[in-house]
Amino acid sequence: MTNNIIEVKDLHKSFGQLQVLKGVTEHIEKGEVVSVIGPSGGGKSTFLRCLNLLEVPTSGQIFFEGVDITAKGIDINQHRQKMGMVFQHFNVFPHMTVGQNITMAPTLLGKKSQAEADEMAKELLNTVGLYEKINEFPSRLSGGQKQRLAIVRALAMEPDVMLFDEPTSALDPEMVGEVLAVIKNLVKGGMTTVIVTHEMGFAREVSDRVFFMDGGILAEKGSPEELFGNPQNPRTKEFLGKVLY
Amino acid sequence: MSIMTIFSNMVKVVSRYWGLLLEGTANTLLLSALTVAVGIVIGAILALMRLSKFHIGKFKPLNAIATIYTEVVRDTPLLVQLYFFYFLIPMMFPGVDLGKVFSVALALCLNSGAYVAEIIRAGISAVDKGQVEAARSLGLNYTQTLQKVVFPQAIKNILPALCNEFVTIVKESSLASTFFVGDLMTQYKTINGTMYLAIEPLIIVSLIYFVLGFVLSKGVAAIERRMKND
Repeated sequence: MTNNIIEVKDLHKSFGQLQVLKGVTEHIEKGEVVSVIGPSGGGKSTFLRCLNLLEVPTSGQIFFEGVDITAKGIDINQHRQKMGMVFQHFNVFPHMTVGQNITMAPTLLGKKSQAEADEMAKELLNTVGLYEKINEFPSRLSGGQKQRLAIVRALAMEPDVMLFDEPTSALDPEMVGEVLAVIKNLVKGGMTTVIVTHEMGFAREVSDRVFFMDGGILAEKGSPEELFGNPQNPRTKEFLGKVLY
Repeated sequence: MSIMTIFSNMVKVVSRYWGLLLEGTANTLLLSALTVAVGIVIGAILALMRLSKFHIGKFKPLNAIATIYTEVVRDTPLLVQLYFFYFLIPMMFPGVDLGKVFSVALALCLNSGAYVAEIIRAGISAVDKGQVEAARSLGLNYTQTLQKVVFPQAIKNILPALCNEFVTIVKESSLASTFFVGDLMTQYKTINGTMYLAIEPLIIVSLIYFVLGFVLSKGVAAIERRMKND
């Protein structure tokens, strides 16, 4: 079990009266690619956001690289540096250039000198085809370009795991492909990845395992072949029936 | 009374009292600038108090003090506040003659501080929550997030509103003339008292206020346009 990069134990999360997560226990192994699918309101995003404590769990524990990050007195900022996150709405920093978006965190947090960070920004932008935009502001980028920037911004912290929260849901359809291609490359490179997505084809293609979340629990999980090819849970069948047509 | 008489009286007022009018205009601008400058300092402190996470149990004392302050100032008339300080300051510092201008200016500053606090608070809360989440997810702590991500974006919302606050104070400071502090409206009262003319000096003073307000608010609009383009 030492190979688990993330372990979740009996995770509960409520917003006021609303119970969103009703006890999730699961682990994610180093190098594993996990897709989380399911209907809206099923708790997918909340589950993902709990992993780096953007949402503070109501109860339960989350272990990241063996450390209980839900324990009192833990410096969550230290651990977040190793957990990259990409959001549905990109959330790139509009007041910084593309280059500064990437170098700000590594330099501020003392991981890199400015020169090293600048060098890394160039390399990263090169890999996602945004090199010539390095001195532009994000307002000059398309949605797909913004999301590619957001991905390399997270990568600049050299994280051990990447969390994607519906990374293509806010994109124009013709820009989905370019973002998925970047994620696919990342996954091929061995990055441990958890991705909440509605892109079923993509989930099936890249995932080692797929979680189906519904009603605040992990209703079903398995390999893409099992879950998409031969779902057992009636809710999974119903959901897949509606989204795969 | 014909228009011609009014006009010739206005000429008389200006030729006789242009020095006073100029002085009053300068004083009004000075008083307003001072008010907003100190107001920004007070407002920033209040806004930080409202943002602070310091708490005793569920009670946030800093937040509560700042909220009460802001509400009291915003929900009572400025003129009443001016009266309060006009009488209160000499009572609080007996034997020390700080002068009435000090009391009145202090009241204006404290008043403006509450409004500036709201401007700053609104400017900060207008920054998208996703920006904070992105910064925190990179490992920045709360203070770093405010410094590097929230404040630089909030300033674009805050600056134009602060300039508007200045325009407002230029007009509102006329209430200070109740205590003859030498602002533009005070000069109106002086001229009115010595020349026994009501309308003519009023027209002149109104015109000066209008030009100040018009020019300043056009300036603000220009600043706003430039900020949007960035």
